[in-house]
Amino acid sequence: MHSIFSRLNNGSSLLSSCLMGLLLAVTLSTFVFTAEPQGNLTIGSIRVLEGRNPRRYNQKQEVGVVRFNVTADLTPLFHWNTKQIFLYLQAEYNTTEGVQNDVVIWDRIVRRKEDASINVVAKDKYHLRDVSRTFRGVPHAQYALKYNIMPYVGVLTYGEVARTSEAVVFPKLGEL
Amino acid sequence: MADYINELLEGRIDFEGQKLVEKLMYYVLIASTIAAFITGLALQSLSLTFGTMGLSVAVLAVAIIPPWPAYRSHPIKWLPASPQPGKK
Amino acid sequence: MFSDELKAFRRLGFRHVLLQVLNFASVIASGLMLWKGMSLVTNSESPIVVVLSGSMEPAFYRGDLLFLTNPVSELYKTGDITVYKIPGADIPIVHRVLETRNFPIKDWDPSTSSSPHPVEQKMLTKGDNNHVDDLALYEGLDWLERKHIVGKVRGFMPYIGYHLTILLQNDFPQLKYALLGGLALLALLQRE
Repeated sequence: MHSIFSRLNNGSSLLSSCLMGLLLAVTLSTFVFTAEPQGNLTIGSIRVLEGRNPRRYNQKQEVGVVRFNVTADLTPLFHWNTKQIFLYLQAEYNTTEGVQNDVVIWDRIVRRKEDASINVVAKDKYHLRDVSRTFRGVPHAQYALKYNIMPYVGVLTYGEVARTSEAVVFPKLGEL
Repeated sequence: MADYINELLEGRIDFEGQKLVEKLMYYVLIASTIAAFITGLALQSLSLTFGTMGLSVAVLAVAIIPPWPAYRSHPIKWLPASPQPGKK
Repeated sequence: MFSDELKAFRRLGFRHVLLQVLNFASVIASGLMLWKGMSLVTNSESPIVVVLSGSMEPAFYRGDLLFLTNPVSELYKTGDITVYKIPGADIPIVHRVLETRNFPIKDWDPSTSSSPHPVEQKMLTKGDNNHVDDLALYEGLDWLERKHIVGKVRGFMPYIGYHLTILLQNDFPQLKYALLGGLALLALLQRE
């Protein structure tokens, strides 16, 4: 401590230890904040149209367009360590061949508590496609609204807000 | 001239001053870390926590980095020089 | 300011220099041990990575630190943020899983199979800040597979790697960033 240099040295190493401790405390405090957000999800309509396979340009592929209605209150998820919430709507289905698929069709980034009341009536951002290029082998699908809390520092957490109560059938190509 | 700048940059303080600086550093840093955490947690604002820390660090830096005269008020009392044996 | 220290150094001689070298080497060795230990525990070849691109903004900015795990017993799910490497393009990419397609493995034998689940996963990813999915980044592959993934993001620390990314931009592989980060941490914690 005899010179400015040694005071700076000792001070900065103590400071960095304190900051590490602080970040750890913030991370641990996050586990205290557990909240169950409420929400509702309904599927409006699904149309199966003819489209193109993005992986083989010449191939045709059936594309599913989903219209949905989502209401959710995410405000209880916002605490001091919440940086943003990534909200996503996914379709979950099994094909007759036994392949289990989870496909995200819509997502939104929520950055502030003020924006955390969700009320969306919209069309999907990402259309549904199946690996078999048709929905004939897919009887129906469940839909779930999930979230991912991204903290300022610490552990990422995941959860589910809402889910369709019964599976939604896929119409035939071109039909409503 | 070079000696003067050297001494200015070195910022030497006496032993009592060093003890004081060390105590100050430990207490203030640890106390402000705890205070910053509690304030932020209570008011749910992370920026408040780091703002508090930043302010405390700034004030502490001004208090302990420069060699204030308060840290030089107990200079070392050297014993009088004893006669050199065997020298003229 | 340092002239006294330099004189003392020269006076102590060769052995002292060797001792300093040994000290330095032991710091490096402990850093490496910590790193490899973490890799074993998390089952990931690179358990700490520094974010290099802005494709996951506003969540992850360049210079943020990510902690990864790659649990063998867990299947990857949509919404997971993964770090993956396409063979042939050695830059790790941090993006979110958009689709998972789990194909059942015929004649799956739990004792001999490399997968603890009777499924083979094919996945599609997309960066939060990108408009389109990553298909164009897969270098001809149709889907991302388990073997391409380094790990799933579990924890996050902002800003720490920022200066590292400025200094060592794109010339060095990811592992070296993380190793340096780990060493810096060790150096900070050992106060002399």
